[in-house]
Amino acid sequence: MHIPENYLSPSTCAILDVAMIPIWGHAVKKVRETVPRDKMPLVGIAAAFCFLSMMFNIPLPGGTTGHAVCGTLIAILFGPWTACLAVSIALIIQAVFFGDGGILAIGANCFNMAFVLPLVGYAVYRAVSGRIEGRRGELVGAAVGSYLGLNAAALLAAIEFGIQPLLFSDASGAALYCPYPLSVSIPAMMLGHLTVAGIAEAGFTVGILAFLRNAAPSFGIETTEADSASAPVIGLVVALIAATPLGLLATGDAWGEWGLEDLAQMVGYEPAGLSSGWEWSALMPDYTVGVLPEWFGYLISAIIGVALLVIIFRLASGAMRPSVDFDA
Amino acid sequence: MPDAAKIPGWLAVPQDYEPRSDRSSFIAKSMLSVASVLRQLRLDGGRSGRFSPTAPVKLVLSLGAIIVNSLATNLMTTLVLLAFVLVRAAFLPRPALAHVAAMAGAAALLAFVLMLPAVVLGQPASAVRLAVKALVSTGIVMEVALTTPAGELTGALRTFHISNLVIMTIDLALRAIVRLGECALETLIALDLRSVGRDHGKRTSMGGVGGALLVRASVAAGDTHDAMRCRGFEGTYDGGARSMSPRAADALLIAAFGLLIALSLYLEGVL
Repeated sequence: MHIPENYLSPSTCAILDVAMIPIWGHAVKKVRETVPRDKMPLVGIAAAFCFLSMMFNIPLPGGTTGHAVCGTLIAILFGPWTACLAVSIALIIQAVFFGDGGILAIGANCFNMAFVLPLVGYAVYRAVSGRIEGRRGELVGAAVGSYLGLNAAALLAAIEFGIQPLLFSDASGAALYCPYPLSVSIPAMMLGHLTVAGIAEAGFTVGILAFLRNAAPSFGIETTEADSASAPVIGLVVALIAATPLGLLATGDAWGEWGLEDLAQMVGYEPAGLSSGWEWSALMPDYTVGVLPEWFGYLISAIIGVALLVIIFRLASGAMRPSVDFDA
Repeated sequence: MPDAAKIPGWLAVPQDYEPRSDRSSFIAKSMLSVASVLRQLRLDGGRSGRFSPTAPVKLVLSLGAIIVNSLATNLMTTLVLLAFVLVRAAFLPRPALAHVAAMAGAAALLAFVLMLPAVVLGQPASAVRLAVKALVSTGIVMEVALTTPAGELTGALRTFHISNLVIMTIDLALRAIVRLGECALETLIALDLRSVGRDHGKRTSMGGVGGALLVRASVAAGDTHDAMRCRGFEGTYDGGARSMSPRAADALLIAAFGLLIALSLYLEGVL
């Protein structure tokens, strides 16, 4: 679901980039108000779950691949606005360091996966878990919320792709950016996400949530216990890092993430915006490390990505003022 | 009431004195700089973790890693080292992490700025490569410094056959800097408290502060010598060698370093 560089027009990217600024501002304000300083490092670990889940490619119908996001998981644990910030930072790290998602399209990707996904997912989770009592209600709410949240994000991405040929084409009618119209992009994206990817998202979310509730009950904003990440949580992160090369088993590109040559073969021409567009040279493009085996590149990329997220959120906790409860 | 219990007359006179305001920014700045030096020397206490290797192994392998990083012509070796540096940093205490992030980030930024002409000439990859190398090398140095007690670090210099006299001098100098720094801070605070109203003699008092420190250092050196002689010091200094028996983590780190060397040689085309 990561929109690559030059698949959206610069003006589309600019609109979504600008739209995200007040959203990020509001998210920062809400995080300062709701997340205690000593819980911020745990938000970094939750963001690491999100980063790692996006590295597991899942084969979808039609020969493409998809991935989970776990934005609803973070929303359940720390609130939807914290999830917005955490997923945004994970997406920015992916775009800047690994070339997964375009730099100009960061706003669009964050709008879909960091804003819409967790907010829709959390709203559905609250509605469903409120009707079913106990742990069962929480897990069912998490499953339904994460499924619907992911599909809402996929629908938006499909619309963003699909309107490009409608709005931006040359004199001969050839699309300048993404060449597939809404009648193609929506069924193509939604088929995979309504079936396999949505189920994977629900599976990841429920699995990790159930594990955390059992092994680390203080992992989340609802408890006031100040707890650093316990051994089981660190163990889960390490296990997920070790398992990331499994994402290589799914061959094929995600829908809308083709290279220029592959796209030209499919549509019969090179959209001018893609062939002459701006390119960013990532440090580890597509999670590879030069000539080293792909699985090694995936492992190193996962380690670097997770470590960066943990460090960023630990540093952020240092910048927050300690909250003092004068009524206690 | 007995006479001894009465307040003396001069104490009962109301105070009408309103001291003139004066800038004392130079005392405040001096106090700030001394305090920040002390903070850096005492940061984290240089505690080593449960799984930390011994100081000599840390010192030798970190120097080796910096050399490998500097000699590597491709980015892959640097990226592998970057992973190590980031993972270690993620487990540091927060003040130490902030310190490492600030120093390593500043070094990377400086390297990138120095390489801006390469970016202008169409070689941005060179600037990024140098910046990442600077970040890795600085990160390694800071992490070793902040996770090793000062005494163990100086003791580890014996690995390089540096004489015990030099190690003892460095140890004593570090202790003296901290002690005299605290003394300087107390003296500056006393000077600030006594500077009421407009006082032109404040600046010349700095010479007095320096002189007091010199006298204090001289007296402390003599006391230290006497204390060492009383405790049986005969002129030999083991530099803390007794606390550096090998640990299991040493073997792990040496093995990891061996793999790094092999990887580096493979990527350079030697293997």
